[in-house]
Amino acid sequence: MYRSTRGLPVAVAAAAVLFIAGRFVPALAGDTGGAPEGPTIGPEVPAVEISLAYRPELDPGRAGYYGFGTTATPEMIAGWDIDVRPDGTGLPEGSGSVEEGEPLYEEQCAACHGFFGEGEGRWPKLAGGYGTLTEARPEKTIGSYWPYASTVWDYVHRAMPFFEPQSLTDDEVYAIVAYLLYLNDIVGDDFVLTRDNLAGIEMPHRDGFFVDPRPDVQNVACMKDCKDPDSIKITWDSTDLGVTPTEFFKGDEEEGETATAADPNLGLNVYQQACATCHKGGLAGAPIVGDRDQWRTRLAQGMDVLVEHAVNGYQGSAGYMPPKGGQIQLTDEEVAAAVRYMTASASE
Amino acid sequence: MSKAGHDRVADLLGKVADAASRVPREDRRNFLKRGLALAGAAVAGPAMAAGDESFLPPNIPPWTRSLGRGVVTVPYGMPSAHEADVIRRTVPWLTASNISSISFTPLPELFGIITPNGLVFERYHAGVPEIDPAEHRLMIHGMVDRPIVLTMEDLMRFPSVSVIRFIECPANGGMEWRGAQMEALQFTHGMLSCCEWTGVPLSVLLEEVGVKRGASWVLAEGADGAAMTRSIPMEKALDDSLVVYAQNGEALRPEQGYPVRLLNPGWEGNTSVKWLRRLEVGDQPWYQREETSKYTDLMPDGRARKFTFVQETNSVITFPCPERPFTTPGRYEIQGLAWSGRGRIRRVDVSLDGGVNWQEARLKGLVLPKALTRFSFMWDWDGSPALLQSRSMDETGYVQPTLTQLRAVRGVESIYHKNAIHTWRLDQTGGVTNVQID
Ligand code: HEC
Ligand code: HEC
Repeated sequence: MYRSTRGLPVAVAAAAVLFIAGRFVPALAGDTGGAPEGPTIGPEVPAVEISLAYRPELDPGRAGYYGFGTTATPEMIAGWDIDVRPDGTGLPEGSGSVEEGEPLYEEQCAACHGFFGEGEGRWPKLAGGYGTLTEARPEKTIGSYWPYASTVWDYVHRAMPFFEPQSLTDDEVYAIVAYLLYLNDIVGDDFVLTRDNLAGIEMPHRDGFFVDPRPDVQNVACMKDCKDPDSIKITWDSTDLGVTPTEFFKGDEEEGETATAADPNLGLNVYQQACATCHKGGLAGAPIVGDRDQWRTRLAQGMDVLVEHAVNGYQGSAGYMPPKGGQIQLTDEEVAAAVRYMTASASE
Repeated sequence: MSKAGHDRVADLLGKVADAASRVPREDRRNFLKRGLALAGAAVAGPAMAAGDESFLPPNIPPWTRSLGRGVVTVPYGMPSAHEADVIRRTVPWLTASNISSISFTPLPELFGIITPNGLVFERYHAGVPEIDPAEHRLMIHGMVDRPIVLTMEDLMRFPSVSVIRFIECPANGGMEWRGAQMEALQFTHGMLSCCEWTGVPLSVLLEEVGVKRGASWVLAEGADGAAMTRSIPMEKALDDSLVVYAQNGEALRPEQGYPVRLLNPGWEGNTSVKWLRRLEVGDQPWYQREETSKYTDLMPDGRARKFTFVQETNSVITFPCPERPFTTPGRYEIQGLAWSGRGRIRRVDVSLDGGVNWQEARLKGLVLPKALTRFSFMWDWDGSPALLQSRSMDETGYVQPTLTQLRAVRGVESIYHKNAIHTWRLDQTGGVTNVQID
């Protein structure tokens, strides 16, 4: 297409997407079985869309035709090009051991993914699940499912820890990935992961994938007596389970329970986003979450006072607690959920 | 105009301004009384018992006897307050955190084939980033002769196209593989939207950078906290992929990738990477997390399908549905949506008896490739229970399968790409329930 319109102003040719309405297509509605006619909506005119923009082949001679933008320098590319391929292409210099990985994982990852990668609550499970892929409720983990170790490195580096993506150093990623492989029984406890040995790691499910073969089912457009009406059984009725929020149209459930309030992880989410900066390590005098001694007298004030202090902020003897941790967009309920989360782990 | 004329106009304008500021503050009751007094009040019909505050005929409602708000009171228009229920919703237990989660488009409440921007379903893995377009860059590099960095301004100088295409999450309906559990159409099919998208064909950008011989894949990467990535085969990239910056006539919404996203028409939504910051050209797929751990389809033998890109033909009846039941027996227009990632919808059939007999529905309005297509079927409902189904066929001749057929091949653990014929049970009261039949 593009080639054949070379003579035309390119912007016009490429921009032309035309809807040609008006081509008469024979009415699609066939036998309506005596049903009433629908409203007259004119002749059935499926619009025909013609796009002149697409073409199957590129013309190397046209590189730089527009000349927009600036050159991506090697330095710019190096900063952004973070992907790693199964053959190891893209891995940076560095290394990390299972031993180094353990404390890092426990500090940065275990709160959500569990100390053994078993997954806390509904946070993803990262280890185990071997032999479950053919069972009901298969457990797809790094060990049981992921085909390449490169993906673990790439993903942890780009997206984890969840609330602070791209905060780990390359060596920390090597160490944590080594530890994840260890949790999945893929390497021993003395293993050191490096740029050079990562691509050689054989993941158990490596050969477990094949390219999409669809269309894989063939239905036929049978019109009459397609099955025995007496054979029809209702096998599932969604109302049996009652797991969907339906109050918005059935008006059958308690008012006021919003989706976020129902989220059991709300407290943890808010804490990670807005409070952990100070309350994780005790920054600025903030009481450390999980340290019972620091919370004992505070807890004695009662929940209402704690929430009030967290919402409105206050100057205490240990330091200044800013209103909502400085994130005023949080609702009072969200802050309260965070306080519940923070104090629960302190009063366990 | 004479001085007197001027004064009269000024006087009138003053009264208008006065009325506009005064009237809305009056309560409805006073208003109605005044309205009735003015109207003579003698014509009260049967529905107008004493003290009835009905705005219905023969009464004249207050909004007819007053002025509404002026222009730019609301500079960016919002739906009527009476449409407050037409919103995206989520099912909290589906995900661990609302930061990586999904919300559903209210399909029962929509008309035509375009999804309004504020109702397009959401799916993201690290929340919605707030990106200043002036600070955003799109880098194109890898196996290319001219690696470039584009500002949004640069990108928008390229010739653009506008196309109407659906986007569907491949997990749409995925909660129903084992059995029916979602009690509302919004949740059974709402990971689905259709917009007019405007942007630059990816082929134009790839030609501009000069793709090297042997290149066969393109990695797309987002600028969000998940730095979401997918490998896209070159064939698709040169076919109809677009780098889009607008939807339904305005800039992309933040939830949809503002300021720029990829659009792979007809393919699983996850491949249409949002907040697009980087395109890398290579000669192999990258096997990213979103194409190994996720978005692969586990089969009963323990092996999994990869690169299951296309969204196959699907359809659903949107009226009646659990949220919008029938009321009394009578004449109804059964309505629904059909769509196919392989092209146009050719035909949709409707069954009233659980798939024993089928009748052809009418396709309404635009029938575009890889776009939602509306169908319609007039029916005189006599109040008997029924099992309503729709079955679409696309221009390749592929017919939407039954769930039994899909399960026979794929089992129930593949999560994605459930495009089975859907069944609504209509009961005598007009109520509608999501059921599965055999
Ligand atoms: C606050 C909770 C949290 C913390 C802390 C966290 N993660 Fe995650 N992790 C998640 C969530 C949520 C996802 C899924 C993200 C998504 O939906 O895309 C995830 C996904 C993953 C996955 C992919 C799982 C899969 O099956 O695809 C890996 C691997 C992972 N995290 C590793 C880590 C590592 C390593 C750390 C520590 C450096 C870490 N995570 C810290 C919440 C967390
Ligand atoms: C900038 C640092 C900082 C952030 C961010 C922060 N806090 Fe605090 N917080 C403090 C300090 C300092 C104190 C101790 C004040 C004192 O008692 O001297 C404190 C105390 C508290 C207390 C104890 C109140 C009491 O009466 O003993 C609670 C509860 C609390 N914070 C909740 C939160 C929550 C919830 C968040 C997040 C929404 C949060 N904080 C974010 C610094 C912070």
